[in-house]
Amino acid sequence: MSALEQTFVTEPAWPIKTWQSLQRKVGWLGLLATGIVAIAAVPLLFVLYSSSQLSLDGWQSLWSERLPELLWNTLSLAVLVAIGSFALGVSSAWLIARRQFAGRCLAIWLMVLPLTIPTYVFAHIYTIMFEDDGWIGSIWLAVFGNTVAIPDLYSIGGVTFILSIAGFSYVFLLVSSALEHSNPSLEEAARIQGLSPLQVFWHVNLPLLRPAIAAGLALVVLHVLSDFGAVSMLRYQTFTLSIYLQMEGRFDYQGAAGLSLVLVFLSLAFLVMERYSRRRQRYYATGTQQRRVSRRRATTTELGMIWTWLGLITLFAFLLPLAWMLEWSWQAWQDDVLDATFWGYVSNSLLVAAGAATIAIIAAFPVAFFHTRKRSTLSTSYIQLSSIGFVLPGPVIALGILSFILVVLAPLYGGMTALLMALVIRFLPLALQSQEASLQHLTPSIEQAGRILGAGPLENLRRVVLPMISNGMIVAWVLVFIDALKELPATLILRPTGFDTLPVRIWIEASEESLELAAPAALMLVVGTLPALWLMMRNNRQSGSSE
Amino acid sequence: MKTMLLRGLFGLLLTSLLASAYATTVHADELIVYSGRKDKFIKPLIEKFTSETGIKVVLHSAKSTALLNKLRVEGDRTTADLFISNDAGNLQTGRQLGLFASIDSKIANTIPTSLRAEDNSWIGLSARARVLVVNKNAKDIGFVKSVFDLADPRLKDRIAITHSGNGSFIAGVTVYQLSKDDAFVANWLKGMKKNTGSKLFSKHSKIVKAVAQGKKDVGLVNHYYIYRHLAKHPDAPISILLPDQGKDDIGVAWNVAGVAISKHSNKKVLAEKLVSYFVSAAGQAQFAGVNSEYPAREGIPAASQVPAAGSYKVADVPMTALGKHRIDTLNLLDKVGMP
Repeated sequence: MSALEQTFVTEPAWPIKTWQSLQRKVGWLGLLATGIVAIAAVPLLFVLYSSSQLSLDGWQSLWSERLPELLWNTLSLAVLVAIGSFALGVSSAWLIARRQFAGRCLAIWLMVLPLTIPTYVFAHIYTIMFEDDGWIGSIWLAVFGNTVAIPDLYSIGGVTFILSIAGFSYVFLLVSSALEHSNPSLEEAARIQGLSPLQVFWHVNLPLLRPAIAAGLALVVLHVLSDFGAVSMLRYQTFTLSIYLQMEGRFDYQGAAGLSLVLVFLSLAFLVMERYSRRRQRYYATGTQQRRVSRRRATTTELGMIWTWLGLITLFAFLLPLAWMLEWSWQAWQDDVLDATFWGYVSNSLLVAAGAATIAIIAAFPVAFFHTRKRSTLSTSYIQLSSIGFVLPGPVIALGILSFILVVLAPLYGGMTALLMALVIRFLPLALQSQEASLQHLTPSIEQAGRILGAGPLENLRRVVLPMISNGMIVAWVLVFIDALKELPATLILRPTGFDTLPVRIWIEASEESLELAAPAALMLVVGTLPALWLMMRNNRQSGSSE
Repeated sequence: MKTMLLRGLFGLLLTSLLASAYATTVHADELIVYSGRKDKFIKPLIEKFTSETGIKVVLHSAKSTALLNKLRVEGDRTTADLFISNDAGNLQTGRQLGLFASIDSKIANTIPTSLRAEDNSWIGLSARARVLVVNKNAKDIGFVKSVFDLADPRLKDRIAITHSGNGSFIAGVTVYQLSKDDAFVANWLKGMKKNTGSKLFSKHSKIVKAVAQGKKDVGLVNHYYIYRHLAKHPDAPISILLPDQGKDDIGVAWNVAGVAISKHSNKKVLAEKLVSYFVSAAGQAQFAGVNSEYPAREGIPAASQVPAAGSYKVADVPMTALGKHRIDTLNLLDKVGMP
């Protein structure tokens, strides 16, 4: 032991030297951030390694046989869903932000509630409803008879419908918060100059909202690119589904990695575009005097039109699925099939999601803090590397983590480590984004003031930094919690033996067509998400009114 | 308030870590089964086994292919003792990947050689037949005697088949590929593609329902889906048609659901107990009971409504071939562009 110490003191081995020089360069915070980013990059390394094993012939056959179709399928779906979410999200956000009407608060909730329903549940419910004897199918037949065929959900149109109603809430949230904080003087000036409300919307609101819309749509598009549940239920071949089939059906991990690599580049392009559009946000936000936006009271005709539109959206995006879940859950309740095992799935799900959310916000903090403090190329690249979770499909992340743990942390295998790690890596970007946003309010002078008044770094962190960003922390926790609760592909692969969560049960029961068991599980997902959503909305409102 | 919230979060983290530690404890006398078979068709057997022997069984359900991938990646770290799949193709693929241990021949010998691996690394437990379901009121359907007739232009818009991602569909095509040749089967697939238009079915049960309601005249399914529908709707106007029974015809394609013991299981004795329960007369009768399948063991009759095994011609393709030629079939389906 002492001999060992001796060698360290006189002649440090190279890892220690590198470590020391690193620490001098980036500090403890930087080292911590480096460690976290290194773990977050594991799935990417797995993809790079596996695809490097792919032979030239393999690449060529991928290129000529699979890629053109997959690119077309994936990109056209992304564009269509972006258009759908834009139409639903921007229209509802504008109506709610600019008009005062009866039930406005309810309307806000109704536009956010679809976030509680995962895409595979939407897909499952709507495929049943659109059957001949389903709720929608039978109404359709009664109205149109056999002259017009019932729309086929197993098509690009069907997938677009499902992913748009499942994703427009992101656009709604970002755009309505931007509208709340935008400067009304510009709109008023335009009105005084004689523009109609519609012209104001096109020429004033829309250009100003561009960053928020772009951010919302980027979120939607990334969800489309990584969606597994809906596309596999509706059998629409996107990159993610094709990667999964390549792995699962053909045991071709290298081909799957090759496809993933293309998908990574595709998604990175989107991320870069989104970052670029957000750069302008700062420009817009500076120099405007803050004044509360006054909402005009809606006329009776407007009220009718507003509620017709919002009602239609909420009918398809929330009420119909909810009614279906309630109907079949009631059936299950009466048949007495909800036993202790079922409540076990519920607690498993809550536990995993809460654990993942907690670890994610802790892990995101050093990376976000490091970025706000240093703003170097290194810190920016850290942020981008940590976005990898949003860019890689769930099954690939799962496989990467699985291989990593089996090789490096073998004794930990079999427990929750792998699952939690995958969930944290997948949703780290969500935690990072909201923490980064709230850390931007924290100017160095505030911290310096704390230090001058005699607080040590840790006390400063506890009494100055954390309280200031706790709102962002809560939002981050909620966002990760909601997504982790719904997560399917990685959970399917990495859950400990015999450990079933609600999404896993929904997946199994849906494929066995036992609606009685799938419905209550889906309902519990909605119920489980509600408190988290409430926390976030309350938080939003508080931060909105304090300004 | 906020610090309380944060503290609450840390508390949650701690609980979840403790819970994870709890979840990882594997009990010594517990069998872990990776099961790709539908829960409701395997749970009754497992429960009976546990009540008779006192041996606890943890069922880890997912798709067969996903579980096979898991076994493969886990290697010697796997906690699985047994693997159950409803497709011989998967079982044979697992054998080729070297994931299974041989089952004691005393147990394996109760199953006919055509329904298990050459080295007993997996054995079939129950068999299903690829048959046609026909609507009794359908007109101009008398000419249909073979699965290959489904490509006949006369059946335009009248047939119901699953999409080509379905495991049973894939296994069926492998049998046809080995009984005929690739070009013939490719033509057949193209003909069916024309006949179905874009309307493909995601589930066999939906095919039977569509045929029963007269929306389609004939469908290609596993036999038990017909009896499952008839059990719920005894008056449904559907009947089973055993295809390819002529002198020169290939016979009905079979597939088996089966079980294998993981090579890395350290509870082989216990695992073999479960397997011997599965192949016992009582266990086999349960397989026949829960899902109207054919018990793999000879001498145990299938349910009375099912055409008896041996009363019709079965395609002469060993079950092991379903794994060996699986990739060929996937390539053929891709080449034809079968949706």
